[in-house]
Amino acid sequence: MMDGDVQIKLQSFVDGELPEGEARAMANLMAQDREAAALVAELKYTRQALSGHEKGVRLPESREFFWSKIQREIERTAPVAPVPRPVSWLVRVRRILTPVAAVAAVAIAGFIATRPASAGSGVETSLSDPGAFTYRDFASGTTLVWLSYPAEDTLADGE
Amino acid sequence: MTGHEHSSADDEALVRAAQQGNLGAFEELVARHRDKIYARAFSMMRNEEEALDLSQEAWVKAWQRLAQFQRESSFGTWMTRIVINLCLDQLRKQKRYRTESLEAIDEESGGVERQMPVLTVNPTERLERAELRQRIEIALDQLSYEHRTVLVLHEFEEMEYKEIARVMECSIGTVMSRLFYARRKLAVILSDLKKDEAT
Repeated sequence: MMDGDVQIKLQSFVDGELPEGEARAMANLMAQDREAAALVAELKYTRQALSGHEKGVRLPESREFFWSKIQREIERTAPVAPVPRPVSWLVRVRRILTPVAAVAAVAIAGFIATRPASAGSGVETSLSDPGAFTYRDFASGTTLVWLSYPAEDTLADGE
Repeated sequence: MTGHEHSSADDEALVRAAQQGNLGAFEELVARHRDKIYARAFSMMRNEEEALDLSQEAWVKAWQRLAQFQRESSFGTWMTRIVINLCLDQLRKQKRYRTESLEAIDEESGGVERQMPVLTVNPTERLERAELRQRIEIALDQLSYEHRTVLVLHEFEEMEYKEIARVMECSIGTVMSRLFYARRKLAVILSDLKKDEAT
């Protein structure tokens, strides 16, 4: 009886899975050993018998019926697109008015920022002291400042 | 457009159309390759109903993954690999619920096949094609799923040992041992040796 490892190597030889050196050794063994040659022949018979075996197999359902099942499954598992909900008139009006209002706000801000300063006179409040008011008369070159709260001296006197 | 209207297009054109969402082109691909895909599922599962379900599932998966098909192989080869993977998953699930028989354990250890006498004549020589087919079917039915799968992947899918080892999650040594057993058993059934021995 042939050694198990040799049997497996002979199979690998038939399948073309042996490196060149080992394949040569197996070829030599086949030439000298009838049992080895017989095993290789048997392995080749089985390969030959199996070749083309699946070609005779037919799917036992008609083209239309088989496809109908596949199509149904494809449609069932397809991602569902979200259905658009009806939009109320109020939302639609808001959608139109929001950008219009934004554009108007920007235009007004731009107009104020770029407006030329009055050449005559005007009243200003200082950002650093909201209680202080300044009156400027550009024509006469006069500037008048007044405060909306009592002077510090007065407060000091009162204490 | 239905699949029939695509019958003159080649596979590559059909795949391109299907990748763009053309279901008619995909139907034509199914029609062309359905027998081969079913045959592979049946070779592995040995059950008509399971083979039908798994080949159908393979087609649905193929449609869902069509964008991933990069044309590194033919469409037919790509499809076959999908159905093989589905069958392997199914067989692994079934194995979890199946108790290993003593015979299967003996087969797995690789001892039995080495004791069988080598056939000295071509067992297929005098068989008619139909009879040969029938005996191959019997042999495939009698093999455990591990032995049958190795045989199918090697002989029908023409996979190398290392590739079979990878998809079956076992060693190359196990692949070689299982393949050897499967072939020897097949040879015995083809030659009807058991019947001769009994008489």
